[in-house]
Amino acid sequence: MRQFALVLMFVLLIGLSAVGSTGSLQSDIFRARDMVLPALVHIQPVVKDYNTGELKKQAVVGSGVIFHKDGYVITNYHVAGKAERIICTLSDREQVSAKFIGGDPPTDLAIIKLDLSDYRGTIHVAEFGNSDSVQAGQYVLAMGSPLALSRTVSGGVVSTKDRFFSQEVRLPTGEQTGNFNLWIQTDAAINPGNSGGPLVDLNGRVIGINSRAMMFANSIGYAIPVNIVKEVVHAILTDGKVTRSYIGAHYQALQEMEEYFGTDGVTGVLVSSIDAGSPAEQGTLRAGDIIQQMDGQPVSAHFVEELPAFYKKIATLPPGTGINLRVQRGSDTLNLAVTTRLLGDLLGEDFECAGWGFTVKGITRQMQLENQLKDSLGVFVEGVKRSGSADDGGLRPGDIVIAINRQDVTDLAGFVAQYNELTQARTEKVLLGIKRGGSSRLVVLKAAAKEETTQND
Amino acid sequence: MIRGSIRAALAVAAPAVFAIVIGHTDSGRAQSFDFARLQTMVRDYTVVLKIKVEISFGMQTNEQEVRLLGTIVSSEGLVLFDGTPVSSEQHGSMSGMSFRITPISIEVTTLSGRKYKAELIGVDRFTQLGFARITDGGATRFVPVQFSLNQQFKIGSWLAAYMLLPEFVTPPVAADVGMISSLIESPEKFPLTVGFGGLEMASVLYDERLTSVGVLGALMDPTSASSDAGGIITGAGEGDVQLLGVVTGERIQKLIASPPKKGEDERSWLGITLQALTKDIGEFLNVGARGGIIVTDVVKGSPAAKSGMIVGDVIHEINGQPLEVDMEEKVPIFQRRVAEMAPGTLVEFSVYRPHDQIVDTLRIVATLEKAPQTAANAPSYESKEFEFKVRSIVFSDYIQNNLEVGSLSGVVVSELRPSGLADVGGFELGDVIQRIGNTSVNSVDEAQAAMARIVADKPREVVFFVWRNNKTMFVNVKTDWKLQ
Repeated sequence: MRQFALVLMFVLLIGLSAVGSTGSLQSDIFRARDMVLPALVHIQPVVKDYNTGELKKQAVVGSGVIFHKDGYVITNYHVAGKAERIICTLSDREQVSAKFIGGDPPTDLAIIKLDLSDYRGTIHVAEFGNSDSVQAGQYVLAMGSPLALSRTVSGGVVSTKDRFFSQEVRLPTGEQTGNFNLWIQTDAAINPGNSGGPLVDLNGRVIGINSRAMMFANSIGYAIPVNIVKEVVHAILTDGKVTRSYIGAHYQALQEMEEYFGTDGVTGVLVSSIDAGSPAEQGTLRAGDIIQQMDGQPVSAHFVEELPAFYKKIATLPPGTGINLRVQRGSDTLNLAVTTRLLGDLLGEDFECAGWGFTVKGITRQMQLENQLKDSLGVFVEGVKRSGSADDGGLRPGDIVIAINRQDVTDLAGFVAQYNELTQARTEKVLLGIKRGGSSRLVVLKAAAKEETTQND
Repeated sequence: MIRGSIRAALAVAAPAVFAIVIGHTDSGRAQSFDFARLQTMVRDYTVVLKIKVEISFGMQTNEQEVRLLGTIVSSEGLVLFDGTPVSSEQHGSMSGMSFRITPISIEVTTLSGRKYKAELIGVDRFTQLGFARITDGGATRFVPVQFSLNQQFKIGSWLAAYMLLPEFVTPPVAADVGMISSLIESPEKFPLTVGFGGLEMASVLYDERLTSVGVLGALMDPTSASSDAGGIITGAGEGDVQLLGVVTGERIQKLIASPPKKGEDERSWLGITLQALTKDIGEFLNVGARGGIIVTDVVKGSPAAKSGMIVGDVIHEINGQPLEVDMEEKVPIFQRRVAEMAPGTLVEFSVYRPHDQIVDTLRIVATLEKAPQTAANAPSYESKEFEFKVRSIVFSDYIQNNLEVGSLSGVVVSELRPSGLADVGGFELGDVIQRIGNTSVNSVDEAQAAMARIVADKPREVVFFVWRNNKTMFVNVKTDWKLQ
C-alpha cells in the first residue's frame, strides 16, 4: 500500500515537472490564480441552529468570491443562509464584516455584502465564465479555506460536467437542494471550508461555486455551475429572492421505459408522480403521461441528466402562467392546460420557545406536502430540548402544534403572539393541542421559565 | 432470612449454582418442600420439548433446534411452554428486514420417557406462553397439571420449580426454589419472584404444600405488549423490562380454555389511537377521573367510530371499572383489557366529553371486532423468479405512513433477496406495487396471477408502477430467464 502511494506520487511529480518545462500550463495557472485569488473571501459566519430545540449559535467557516466592486460576495446558502453575523477576511488579510443579502436554498447559493466603509484596500472582482462550455478533463483550480486554511489553491480537472444525483440532496438546514441543476464534478481537492469558494478555469473565470464533496472519497467534489449562479445572482440583486413556479408533477427519465410506453424513438418527459391538490392534478396530468411538447416546443428527458433542466423550465415561468402540455397517454395524444403556482419558501421561519424548551417553524406549502399535512394550520415542532418542559410533557420533533390552551394556532405569527403573552404572564402550565400523524394529542408544559428566573434571582 | 434473600437475588444471575448452594446450607424453609413427592407428581405432565424451527431473516433461512421445558395442561394433550423462541413477531412491516420463526416439528418427551409428536397452536402475545397439542396420543387421556385458582400470594413465601438441564444430563431437570419478593400492582397484578431465572421460564411453580400456583413468566414490558399493528396503537416509550414472577392459575386457565391460534389473530380492537389522561391534562380538561384514556384518533368504520366515540373523548371506566391510566406507561393496561375480550363482546365505556369549558358525561357501548391483520399474518406471495416477496396492505401500513385507512391499493414488498432481480431493478422494502406491467394489482392473488403470466411470457424487462414515500414511480426490472 505504501509502495503504491509512493509510485503514484512519483508519477505525479514527473507529470508536473514535465509540464513545468513547457512553461505554458504553469503560467496559465499563475495567471488564473492572480485573476481570482485577490477576490477570494474567507467567511466566518455565526449561524443560528434550531435543530436541538433551542437556538444555538455556531461559528463556522466557509469561502466566497467577490463578484461586484460594491463588495457583493457569492457563497453557499449553507454557509451564510442562517448567519446572524458574518466576519470576512479578504485576500490582503484585512477583516471586514458583511451582511446577508439574499439566499436560495434550492441552488444552495447566497449573496453577502462586505461592509467596506472602513476598508482602505482595493476590492478585486472575479469574473464569471460560462459553465456550458466547460469540458471534462479541463484543468481547473479550486480556491477557498479548506478546514479553515485560508487562501488555499488546489488543482485538478473537471471530472464530469453533468453529474446528477438520484438521491435527494438536503442542506444541513433541511431544505432540498439541487433539483434545478446538474453539478460539475472535479478532482481538485475540496474539503469542508471550501464551501462557497470558486472553481476557476485557466482563463481565470469562475465556472462554478464549490459546494460539496463526497465523504470518504478521494477528490470527488461538486460545484454549482456558474450559469445557474448568474441567474440566481441576478434574481437576488433585482428582487431580493429567486421566484419559482411549480406544477406538482415529478418526472423520471424515459430511458429504459420506452418499450413499456411504446415510445421507441419518441422523445418526451415521463411523468412519474403527481402531488395531491397540485396544479398538475387539477390539469388532469397523470403518472405515466409522456409530455412531448410544452407550449408548442418539444421537450425531452431521455436520460436522468436531462431532468433538472425540465424542472427548471417550469420553475422559471412566472407563477400563474398557463402552460399547454401535449402529452401521450397510451395510444392517445392529449392537450392539457396547467397553471403554474408559486413554489414559495421550502421551509418556514424559525422561532425558539426558550421558556418551553422547543423550537418551531412556520408551515409552508412545501412542508405541508412533504409531511402529508391536510392543511397549513399550526406550527411545526423542529426540535425539542432534552429534559426541557416540552420534552417532559412528551412533545416530539415533527409534531404540529394546533392549539395553545384550547385556542387554535393558525400560523407562526399567531403562535408567537400567544407564546409571548403566556410567558410574559408567567403562566405556570400550558396545554398544547398537537397533531402527530393522524392523531390529535394533548401535551402539558410546566413552564421552566419561572424556575430559571427564580434561580437567577 | 436476609442471608437467604441475598443468595436468592444472586440466583437470578446463576440459578444452577444457587440450587446446589441452597441444598447444602439453607436451613428450614427450603427443605420444607417435599421434593420426593414432587418428583413423582411431575413425572407424567412435565415434558421436554424439542422444537425444530426455521429462522428466516429477509430471504435467508436456516434451521435450528430449541429445547424447552413444558407441561401437559389438559387431558387431550395440550402442552404449555415458553413461547418466546418460537414466537414470530415481524418487526417493521413497511421497512427493514423481516425476521420470522416457523416451527417445523415438535417432539415431546415426558419425564417418564414417553415420546410424542406435537404441533404448535400458538403463542400468547401478552404472556409469551406457547401452546402445542400432542398429535399422536391416540385415545390417551393425559394426566395434566391442575392449577389452583385464586391463590393468595405473600411476600416472603417460597416457591419451587424445575429447571431444564443440558441434553447430555440425566435426568433432564433439577429442582430450584425462589421467593415471592413483591406483589406488583401496576401495570398489572403480578407476584414477583427472586431465585428463578431463564432456565425455569414457563415452569410450573409450587407452593410449600405443592399446590401448582402458576408458571414462571416475565412481567411484560407494557410497551412491548402493545401492538405494532394489533389494532390499538400507542406512542408509549421504550424499555426492556424482564422481571420474573408468577403467571397465575386463573390466567393460564383462561388461555387453556381458548389457546392463542397460530397465524390467526383473535384479538379484539376498538379502533382508536390513545393517550393517557395524566393529572395535569385532567386539570386542564376539568375531568375529575384518577386516570383514563384520551381518544386521539378514531379509525373510520371501526367499532369506536360506529359507537359514536370521537377524538377528545376521555374514557374513564370500562364496564363500570375505573381505568387508572395516569401515565403513558400504563396505556397498555387498557389496550390489553380490550384485546383480551372476544370479538363481538359488548363493552360499556364511561366517557367524559369536554367541550367549551363544560364536560358531558356519556355512556358509550361498543361491540368489539376482530383486530385487523398484522403485517406478519398478512397473506403473502413469493416470486422465486423476481426474488422478492409481497404481502397485502394492512392497517398498520396506513398508520405508519400517515395515510387515511383504505387510501392506498396494491401489495407491499415485504422481502427482497439482496442483489436479486427485484433488488437490482431498484425495488426497496416497503414499496407498494400498484401495477405490474399493464395490470393493476389490488391483492396478493392478483399479484400472483400477474407474475405467473410474466413468467409464462418471459419478457426481457418488466415495468412496475410503485408507490414509495408518498410519491409514485416506475421501476424497470431486467429479467434474465437463462438463469432460471
